[in-house]
Amino acid sequence: MYNHKKFSVINPSKMCQPMGAVQALLGVKDTMPLIHGSQGCSTYMRFQLTRHFREPIEVASTSMNEKTVIYGGEFNLMKALKNITEKQSPQLIAVTSSCLTETIGDDMVGIIEKFREANLGKDLPLIIPVSTPSYAGSHVEGYDKTIKALVEHLAIPSHPTGKINIITGNISPADVGEVKDILKDLQCENIILTDTSENLDAPLSESALDLYDGGTTIGEIGDTANSLGTIAISKHANLAATFLEKKFAVKSESGPLPVGLENTDSFINLLCKLKELEVPETLKRDRGRLIDAMVDAHSYTYHRKVAIFGDPDFVSGMARFISEMGMIPTVLCTGIISKRFTDDIRTISEDKGFNPVVLAGGDLYDLHQQIKELGADILIGNSYGASIAKEENIPLYRTGFPVFDRLGAQRISILGYRGGINVVDRITNTLLDFYYDEAGYEITEEESPEIAEENLYVTEEI
Amino acid sequence: MEPVIETFESRKKHMCVKGEGLSIPVCDKASLPGTVTQRTCVYGGARIVLMPITDSIHLVHGPIGCAACTWDIRGSKSSREDLYKKGCSTDLQEKDIVFGGEKKLFETVLELNELYKPGAIFVYATCVAGVIGDDIKAVCKKSEEITGCRVIPVQSEGFQDHNKTKGHWIGCDALLDYVIGTKEPETTTPYDINIVGEFNVAGDLWGIKPLIEEMGINIISTITGDSHVDEIAQSHRAKLNIVQCQKSSNYLAQKMEKKYKIPSIKVNFFGLQQTVNSLREIADFFGDEEMIERTEKIIESGLKEVEHKTDEYKERLNGKTVSLYVGGNKAWSLVRAFEEVGMDVIMSGTKNGIREDYERIKEAVRDGTVIVDDANSTELARLLKKYKPNLLISGAKEKYISLKLGIPFCDFNHDRISAFAGFKGFISFAKEVDASVSSPVFNLNYTSLKGD
Repeated sequence: MYNHKKFSVINPSKMCQPMGAVQALLGVKDTMPLIHGSQGCSTYMRFQLTRHFREPIEVASTSMNEKTVIYGGEFNLMKALKNITEKQSPQLIAVTSSCLTETIGDDMVGIIEKFREANLGKDLPLIIPVSTPSYAGSHVEGYDKTIKALVEHLAIPSHPTGKINIITGNISPADVGEVKDILKDLQCENIILTDTSENLDAPLSESALDLYDGGTTIGEIGDTANSLGTIAISKHANLAATFLEKKFAVKSESGPLPVGLENTDSFINLLCKLKELEVPETLKRDRGRLIDAMVDAHSYTYHRKVAIFGDPDFVSGMARFISEMGMIPTVLCTGIISKRFTDDIRTISEDKGFNPVVLAGGDLYDLHQQIKELGADILIGNSYGASIAKEENIPLYRTGFPVFDRLGAQRISILGYRGGINVVDRITNTLLDFYYDEAGYEITEEESPEIAEENLYVTEEI
Repeated sequence: MEPVIETFESRKKHMCVKGEGLSIPVCDKASLPGTVTQRTCVYGGARIVLMPITDSIHLVHGPIGCAACTWDIRGSKSSREDLYKKGCSTDLQEKDIVFGGEKKLFETVLELNELYKPGAIFVYATCVAGVIGDDIKAVCKKSEEITGCRVIPVQSEGFQDHNKTKGHWIGCDALLDYVIGTKEPETTTPYDINIVGEFNVAGDLWGIKPLIEEMGINIISTITGDSHVDEIAQSHRAKLNIVQCQKSSNYLAQKMEKKYKIPSIKVNFFGLQQTVNSLREIADFFGDEEMIERTEKIIESGLKEVEHKTDEYKERLNGKTVSLYVGGNKAWSLVRAFEEVGMDVIMSGTKNGIREDYERIKEAVRDGTVIVDDANSTELARLLKKYKPNLLISGAKEKYISLKLGIPFCDFNHDRISAFAGFKGFISFAKEVDASVSSPVFNLNYTSLKGD
């Protein structure tokens, strides 16, 4: 009776708005994120981010407490801005709100203005507010709003540059690197919003403890107003693109996440359309290699059932990709309710002739129930899927956020043709580890239970 | 007096050196706004105390963020159910903030009870639940009447205090007010005890429990590691409480002493000598000659079992230095264990310590040890750079600060990988410490490419 529960969220497949905001800010050079709220907001978030990226993560807090909740957070926010200005002196402080400070009605814009007035004539960092209450939206919206806030406050029109702005959405540092490599191959000058590729995969060095030396610069964000166009490769992160188009007539496009063959083709075609670029041999060769990898894998992947969960653009992108490989998506789950997501899945289903169960606004409980009902040979998603995979005795291909129980989350690459090759190899090898014996034969159910048992203990790679 | 490191003026007295004037740092103050504090909120404090109750649902009444980063992070193991690992939330939305979240909470409790039939449902108040004024107690009472399941309010609004110590107490209060004393044990013995403040992180409890049971003692409940709520309900009939995590749970032991006249002793099962002392103290408490004799045998065989098993590690660890920067208890309870492997504790600190915690640290460490309160990430990095310990013991957020500085690190918090308590635990402890301190990878950073 409660199979389709109505009220509770059990094992969430989404996070809060400030988390998305921080993820966006980790790609900006010389910037301090400040969460205006209780200490737990920044601390638990840092815990989650740090165990995923395996890097130190710095997020300041205004450390609200009982008194400041009663009298309002003005004192704490002013004090925080002063302390960060004096001790860290970043180029930018991005202040994100929390449920608490939104509910008590703190006027962040007014308080920041007051801070500026109180410090007239002093060399202050740029300070921008982002409104991110967790009760209205998720990390997906938090990310989107933050990128928009960055361009809204910082973009300054001057001379056209012919560059392309790329809004990545929340993807791994390795995937940001992959997108940059594609742009380099195409000789397409660009601005990445935001570039986490160096910051969140840093060498062992003391300098990793300082404010980020890498990432998108404030100057680059300023220059986005002068670009030829913006492409949001995550459809759910296109607010800034729309803003730049309205305000500065920078053409706006939002395409599917370039996962797999067709979506990567779409991305490259979109770039070529905007900029009249030639596709170089290197990219054509990579494309050929991806198709080659998919052909090599086909007999293992054909009609394997797949369940996918994670951020909406990731799930729809991955669903298309595994369909290209001949696999069948059975359950597709994302934590937020989104028409764009359900529309995307409908299109993919029609294109590919499948009929997956779509859970928008679902959690891992719902996902698990559907997997029990419809079956899956492999689960694709973050580390929180591990207990479902164990219970259903299927492998988990770990990708997305967070991945805390395997190493190398910052280096998981799934985008573009080259990332696609990784995905094909890893999914196929995971299937081989799990469903085939050491001689390469598929383990059938009639076989001795010892063999099947033995194969449960092969650890799959991320 | 020279400050320990360069920092904000108001923070300088939060660090001191034992034996040089001030031996107890200023503590229990609000963190400076704008710093990267290592502290968390009151909700977090309550949750870590209660979360190890395995047969219960832990429902976070608030927007999704509070639950999304905190479910299944305690590192606490279960020999029975895994209900406690589920991340349950009422996922409050804007309309709930405007019109109140009580109805949604009520429906959610009913639904979770229907789905899982848990031993109890703990309902945690978050910042927002507090600010919008939801009457969580009333909802819990009403839904308990309807379901027959224990529905326990935890008044843990995150902003209530500047550190999570108050959250520990609120968690303990929930047990005192709604659980302890609500069920009578079927049988009692003269040797009934509770193990208080043992959360079974990495399975620590399982290193202690057999030793105590072998002594002839009956453990009514563990509060709260690997426990069922019904067991804790009977804990008021114990003759003695032994307290392992004195940071979070002294409060509970004191309240139980007042209410139920149960005396308590502080124990520490980290390290061999501490384990021996703790077992003897428990036996002495009961004063039963046979038990004392049995205990000596247990100690003898326990020590024999581990004899020479740590020699290899000790050889490599001898003379190495270690810094502790932890939530509380481990800042003093690990000191002797490190001394036993030949290491020197040169710094010890906590994120949430109150005066009595620092008094305990002061007693445990030798002169010249730096004692630190609430160091933020910049301060921690400066301390590590100044004192260059061979090892830092801390939690996940501090891990990569240490590693990027080339300082070996062990996570002895939620992400610990092996059990350290008791005799056998000491071998794992030495092994894990050695695996960090002695790994060759930390020397690689001092090499360079030809031509550099």
